[in-house]
Amino acid sequence: MIDQQAATPVRVPPLPAASRPAANKRRLKRATRLAIALLVILAFVSPIYLTIVNAFKNNSAIDGSPGSLPLHPTLSNLSAALNQPDHVLQLGLRNSLIVVVCSVVLLIPLGSVLSFWISRKRSRSRRAILAALAAGLMIPPQITVLPIIHVLAHIGLDHTYPGLILSNLGGGYLSFAVFVYVGFMRSIPAEVIEAARMDGASSLRIWWKIIMPLVRPATATVGIFLSLWIWNDFLNPLLIIGPLTGQTVTVGLYESVSNQVQPDYGLQFGFMFLAALIPVVAYLLVQKQFRAGLTAGATR
Amino acid sequence: MRRRLLAAAAAASLLLLAACSSSPASSAGKKVTLTYLTFLTPDLTAKFWSTSIAAAEKSVPGVTIKQDVDPTTDRDTYAKQLLQAGSFPDLLESITPSLYLSAKLLTPYPSSWINANFILPNNIKGKDYIPPTNSQIIPLVYYNKSLFAKAGVTPPTTWAEFMADCAKLKAHGIVPIELGGHDSFAAAMPLTGALSADVLGSDPNWIQQRYAGTVKFADPNVVAAATKMRTLVTDNYFEPDALSVSYAQSITNFNDGKAAMYPMGSWYLGSLPKSEWNNIGVFPWPTNNGSLVIPFAVGGSMAVSSKSPDQAAAFKFAESWSLNPDNLKSLISGDGAFPMIKGKSLASYGLTLSPAFNSSYSYVTSQNNKVSSMSWATNDNALPGNVVNDFDAVAQALFSTSNVKAQMQQLDQDWASATASS
Amino acid sequence: MSLRAHLARRDTGLSAFAGLAMLLYLAFLIVPVLLSLETSFTNQNVLSASSGFVGLANYREMLHDNQLDAALEFTVALAAVVTVVANAAGLAFAILLNRASLSYRVLRTLAFLPQVISGIIVGFVWSWILSPSGLVNNILMKVGLVSQPVNWLGTPHMAMLSVSIVVAWVLTGFTTVVYLAALQNIPRELYDASSIDGANSRQQFRMITFRMVAPATTISVVISLITVLKLYDIITALTGGGPAYATRSVAMYIISVGFSNGAYGYASAIAMLLLALTAVIALTVTTLLRRREVDL
Repeated sequence: MIDQQAATPVRVPPLPAASRPAANKRRLKRATRLAIALLVILAFVSPIYLTIVNAFKNNSAIDGSPGSLPLHPTLSNLSAALNQPDHVLQLGLRNSLIVVVCSVVLLIPLGSVLSFWISRKRSRSRRAILAALAAGLMIPPQITVLPIIHVLAHIGLDHTYPGLILSNLGGGYLSFAVFVYVGFMRSIPAEVIEAARMDGASSLRIWWKIIMPLVRPATATVGIFLSLWIWNDFLNPLLIIGPLTGQTVTVGLYESVSNQVQPDYGLQFGFMFLAALIPVVAYLLVQKQFRAGLTAGATR
Repeated sequence: MRRRLLAAAAAASLLLLAACSSSPASSAGKKVTLTYLTFLTPDLTAKFWSTSIAAAEKSVPGVTIKQDVDPTTDRDTYAKQLLQAGSFPDLLESITPSLYLSAKLLTPYPSSWINANFILPNNIKGKDYIPPTNSQIIPLVYYNKSLFAKAGVTPPTTWAEFMADCAKLKAHGIVPIELGGHDSFAAAMPLTGALSADVLGSDPNWIQQRYAGTVKFADPNVVAAATKMRTLVTDNYFEPDALSVSYAQSITNFNDGKAAMYPMGSWYLGSLPKSEWNNIGVFPWPTNNGSLVIPFAVGGSMAVSSKSPDQAAAFKFAESWSLNPDNLKSLISGDGAFPMIKGKSLASYGLTLSPAFNSSYSYVTSQNNKVSSMSWATNDNALPGNVVNDFDAVAQALFSTSNVKAQMQQLDQDWASATASS
Repeated sequence: MSLRAHLARRDTGLSAFAGLAMLLYLAFLIVPVLLSLETSFTNQNVLSASSGFVGLANYREMLHDNQLDAALEFTVALAAVVTVVANAAGLAFAILLNRASLSYRVLRTLAFLPQVISGIIVGFVWSWILSPSGLVNNILMKVGLVSQPVNWLGTPHMAMLSVSIVVAWVLTGFTTVVYLAALQNIPRELYDASSIDGANSRQQFRMITFRMVAPATTISVVISLITVLKLYDIITALTGGGPAYATRSVAMYIISVGFSNGAYGYASAIAMLLLALTAVIALTVTTLLRRREVDL
């Protein structure tokens, strides 16, 4: 329900005295509404606010006034996190970035090509393939992680990053990509494709030159969600990569934070802040595409 | 035609990805890297490990040790996780060797070396998989002398006296027992104490009989011992919200005088601050009739994986590390470890130790009824499979259920499934 | 060359590429699930000397496994409760935030943040917030609602409640966004027309909003259920499954049995159960809700 914005300024005679309270009442109502929304949402995201502010307080400030803004902001937590043995944080960020970029860059064409291929014909086999892909969305990673390690071991890629990236390409992530793309491809008129065919284009060319530009919102949605999920993936990197090959940031975070017999909250918050910074900033930057992808996708 | 293209495309992409994988440095040649599972405690710091490892590395030129630091305090679970995922380390510090024997994952140390260097072996079926460099008593009950004086109580020798002391302390507004129940191993200290003192105290071979199936946890005598844990809960003798107090916090609480007694493994001695040395005393977990029972656990350094490529180097490193008096010094003063190296008295380490340490150590050296500490022993009396974790969970469960017998029956079930799969 | 062959040749590149995608899916999903199924019929255990085919023994053992029962009860209850709470809250937030101005756009952006943060961070931060000396207790005591700090994570029942709250919190970030997208597709004319007919906002919600978001409700509810059923990292970081295994979900139990016990064969059997459970729940709920969509 889109509310009416305030009336555009137009030369009108001054309102009669009687209706001024009514306008004020509406303004009050709108302000109250906004205030409620503000309170609710700020309370809702307060844990995130807490992670941010406490990353810049020393331990006594964290204990003493956990909820307040840092009175004497300090960067010591961040530097402590960055100076952990083996530079766990920096290496973790680098590894996570590599995994996410490689996985998503490969998943987008794989997903969209497969969707295009599926969408072109309405055969029973293709519907069966969609059903098989649906399974990928439901399967808990605990079931597949160990056999995946065995499969990777067969081709010599176990406990390696290429192995992890490869395993990302063939699971629930691919299913998600396919389903999002299939939804969007349904709205592409068949005439456009037929016309290109008549001009002699191969299917692959049609996919690249025509389909991909048309499904940009889908690509945005897929890219954003998959990046987020792969970045935050915990169980697969934990077990597929293993502890000795250098960790992704999510696993590194878990191992550093839970490794403290005497919890150093300042260090923990510093670590968490730095680990969450990239995804949060990236999310804020792609807001427009995010919204576009969702609203367009809602029509499917 | 299409199928061939598909196969070709698939093979090509896989090869491409495989080529991108950074090939690990070849292990043929002089450079050998051994992985070593370690863990951190307030005293076994990262610095301790790097120093001790560097010192021992000198005895094995050409060998580099890579640490795999356990992110939890449960080394066995972590080791099993690594095993399952195909990254079993070459050297493993302070694990429970009995768990890995049926799959023949560990190589024993030469008996000649064990007998030459250590006071007591820690055999499993006659073989030592971990050098028995030190021992612990788990648990002992540490107490705050001034709080005891305030309530007018004295260290108990029987269970009845212990309960009377608790009641008196509580009447004076003093928390009788600090538990630290959020960490399950800490929560189970009273349970370990009661079962070691009552069950193993009367029958030191009870665990062997359990393996044989002639006794069960659900037997009345065991249930009676376990009920003591429940009684302490219902009488409210633990600190408030004991299950949310972490182990680390419980040490701080006891050191700060927030509770009168602290049942804990003798490693607590390493966390006893100098300012409190004259204020903390110790007594063994009281038995019903007041007889002395010492729940003993021999511990040590690292086990060697049978799959390790260079067994000779692994053992050389392990032996060098284990016999290094500097490491043991850190363990004694920082971890309350009782040294078990032949020919080296406690005094020879040249350390000044708390009165509580010396009292605790006297139980090791004097002749008394030493039994295996229930759930902590790592010799033939080690519990099978995951039963140690289930044992600890029982202690936590007894905070919310009064059906002790059902908990013991569950433990028997866990034992059955743990032994069935081996 | 016939037109058909001609067209077939044009398809080669696309088909090869699509075939590659399917091959990857086969290798890293289908085959692992089948391998897991195969293992569920063995007594494979890294810690035992040997292993072999044992038929349905693992499945029979599952019937007597009290710890599995507890994990199942907890997981299913968690999924049900969290789904209801998160979807109700998500719809409420969506209605609240469905305004065009910049402030609302900022609030909408913020509302999704719980989904952006890693589950590990969520678990750790909340365990700090809910600790006996943590912020929640501080506020409750200051306001005077309680006189003693509440033991949020220390007893089995409270821990289960706390896990529900935290998971619902995370999931609400997702459901809000789904419902917002759905709300933006409801034509304003519907509301205008009903206002003219004299409907109040409550009636408008019941007649228009609630019905028009039915398709989004289906998707959101099913995804919520599936997500909670396979949840691992949030709970691990928040309670580690404790106290006394009270908050150990089936997914965590599988990892515990398979990796901590080494009983991989048995763990695979439990995994098959979880898969079947997820499939049944997902399909049943989807069918019921789809039917509701049509009826509405």
